[in-house]
Amino acid sequence: MYEFTTMGWLKHVIFHPIEGFEDLRWKKQGSLKVAIWIVFFLFISMVARRQLTGFAFNGSYTKIFNVVPLLVNSVVYFFTWVIANWSVCTLLDGEGRLKQICINSAYSLVPYIVGTFLATLISNFMVLDEAIWVNAIYYLGMGWSVILMFQAIKAVHQYTIPKTIICIVLTLFVMLLILFLAILLLSLFQQVYVFIYSIYTEISYRIRG
Amino acid sequence: MQMKKAFKAFKRITSLCAAAACLSASLITAGASEPYYSYSYDNWNDAIPAQAGYKVSNTYTGYDLGLTRLTDPEDDLYISRTAPIALNGPKDIFFESVKEEFWIADTKNSRIIRLDKDLKLKGCYTGVEGAESGITNFNEPQGVFVITEDDGNTYMYVGDTQNSRVVRCKITSENECECELEITKPDSPIYTSKSNTFLPEKILVDAARNIYAVCTSVNSGSSQFNYLGEFQGFYGANRVELTGEIIRRRIRRVFASDEQLKSMESAAPVEYKNFDIDEEGFIYTVTEAANTTTDAVKKLNAAGYNIWNNDAGNEYVFADSGANTYDASTNTTYTTRLTDIDIDQHGFINILDFVTGRVFVYDEFCDLITIFGTSNTNSDQKGSFTGPNAIECAFDNVYVVDGTKNDLTVYTTTLYGSYLKEAVLLYDDGRYVEAKPYWNEVLARDGTCTFALMGLGKACLSEGEYKQAMEYFKDAYARRSYDKAFKYYREQWLQDNFLWLFLVIVLLFVLIITLSILKKKGIIKKRVHKQKKQVERKKTKKELEHEAQLAAEAAEKAAEEQAENSENNEKGEDK
Repeated sequence: MYEFTTMGWLKHVIFHPIEGFEDLRWKKQGSLKVAIWIVFFLFISMVARRQLTGFAFNGSYTKIFNVVPLLVNSVVYFFTWVIANWSVCTLLDGEGRLKQICINSAYSLVPYIVGTFLATLISNFMVLDEAIWVNAIYYLGMGWSVILMFQAIKAVHQYTIPKTIICIVLTLFVMLLILFLAILLLSLFQQVYVFIYSIYTEISYRIRG
Repeated sequence: MQMKKAFKAFKRITSLCAAAACLSASLITAGASEPYYSYSYDNWNDAIPAQAGYKVSNTYTGYDLGLTRLTDPEDDLYISRTAPIALNGPKDIFFESVKEEFWIADTKNSRIIRLDKDLKLKGCYTGVEGAESGITNFNEPQGVFVITEDDGNTYMYVGDTQNSRVVRCKITSENECECELEITKPDSPIYTSKSNTFLPEKILVDAARNIYAVCTSVNSGSSQFNYLGEFQGFYGANRVELTGEIIRRRIRRVFASDEQLKSMESAAPVEYKNFDIDEEGFIYTVTEAANTTTDAVKKLNAAGYNIWNNDAGNEYVFADSGANTYDASTNTTYTTRLTDIDIDQHGFINILDFVTGRVFVYDEFCDLITIFGTSNTNSDQKGSFTGPNAIECAFDNVYVVDGTKNDLTVYTTTLYGSYLKEAVLLYDDGRYVEAKPYWNEVLARDGTCTFALMGLGKACLSEGEYKQAMEYFKDAYARRSYDKAFKYYREQWLQDNFLWLFLVIVLLFVLIITLSILKKKGIIKKRVHKQKKQVERKKTKKELEHEAQLAAEAAEKAAEEQAENSENNEKGEDK
């Protein structure tokens, strides 16, 4: 049927939202390396959007630049999504494996990344009256990515449409759960650390006499 | 909304800390004369260090004002040997611009003091002659308003609080006045007061000689009387601030029975504390209740409608706006309580904060000009207040009356402040280019003055230097203005570079067309071919592998068969 290079497959998937992911699945294609690069570019695009958007369009608080929220918004959310989706769909008779979910999800993010870069670029040449073009490009990319993501999940698990919707809703819920537990764990470890550190200081004071 | 507010408050706290830290570092070397740090707000609403627009000129106690003359029997102004020679809890100060005199309501001493423009005693009034009620002496008057009519007569309006009356009296001599009108508690059923009293605190008179009185525990606005003293109704009430409590009550109201409804108290707005009138007849009010965000400062038109209505889509921010604010220098959290407002002859709005002792100066469009003054939380110095009660502006000075320290502080404009005010006046008139030299002076003294950056940006914009304007607006973080400058800049750039751009586009077209023609004729190989070839190669390679595998399998099978055959043969031989 179809024979493409690695990038050719990416292009095929993006421009054939209905059967692209099915083809990808049956041909056992898709590269994890490309997927990781895409997630990296997602992060870069978010940084670019915050820092390089035209002055008139940029409403973010530019006095401080903190990379952590952007990192969480891109990389952490992406991997949480992948793990949450895998956890849910394993229980819901999904056929996708972790690697496939990761690849498919990453591939479907490409239009959003491209849209973000393009919107950031043209916002430097536009005035606020023409803001609709900037927004149109940005939201077009986002909408396209949402459709692709839906198809990706549907294809990788071989679900029907209603089941895909249920699975996505459950995935979002599980994402919340995972993040909540992660924060809980983090604060717990911090307290353990503080406890140990205070014991250490106490003992060191005693030894010094 | 709440989240946003909380975030804003947080931002404010951090930025105030930062501003204070910067200032304390710089002030050690500078050796400041003012007992406070001047600061300002930038376009992010962050507090940033700023130059002082005003400095303390002098502080006047009763002795400095010449109140000892009241006890000197040989003086014209002699009242009695026991007349207090100090102010006691003064609540109001008024500047009468025709005769250039100051009037102070010396509340606890129950008298009105009249001073000339150099703040020397000119008269003192302890009571009024010929009042209908027969009461002569004032009893803790809290408000005074003075008008000199065209015929040269001076009329004094006194909010005689504890006597529950407002009097209009004609000044006849330096210590006598004649009562013309006495307004007591209105009989009208419209008049409502929580404690059923009439305790006028602040008095204001408009061009038509209507009298407005802010009364204690009346939250429907100020009581309005016509020239004849007839009650006209209330004017310009505050609205109820939407808080969680109010929302809870509204929800309960939906489910409550009629009987329950009767027992519920209705939500009442907080009353405004003080007001002032400008030359155009607009009335400005301030609300003293702590942390008011709704209607904290209002500009009322004749109908009592608030022109500065944030609910109508405006974004007016006054003082340290509402939320609890942290002061790093004293390590305290404080609330704002706006106690007095005054509009000076240029239209600048001066707002006095009772808690922090700060005066906030705004231009007529509510853009912050400067902030000065402080409360004396740690040291009692000139220019710090304990109970700042009233503010008045005259001759480019600001006069603040302190009701606890019982003195009068005069602030004069600094050089920086005078440049700034001059520039703002021209700027507000739209004369941006004329304001430019003043803005440059301002910016030379305070490089982060947002207002100056805006002013210079607009000057550049009207002079056609769009690139420069963009830079100024960027520094001021004014996105809308930047956008405007950028629009013109882009237009200019396109006009200047049109030929060049046009040529590039034409060349690109030609290039594309020639390329496609060449491709059609097969002179340039299409990229598609290349890709296909790659795929083919891959395919063959794979196929080769596959074939090789197949061949190997076939060979294995053949070998196995052969082995089996040979085994069979061997078996057959055995048989």
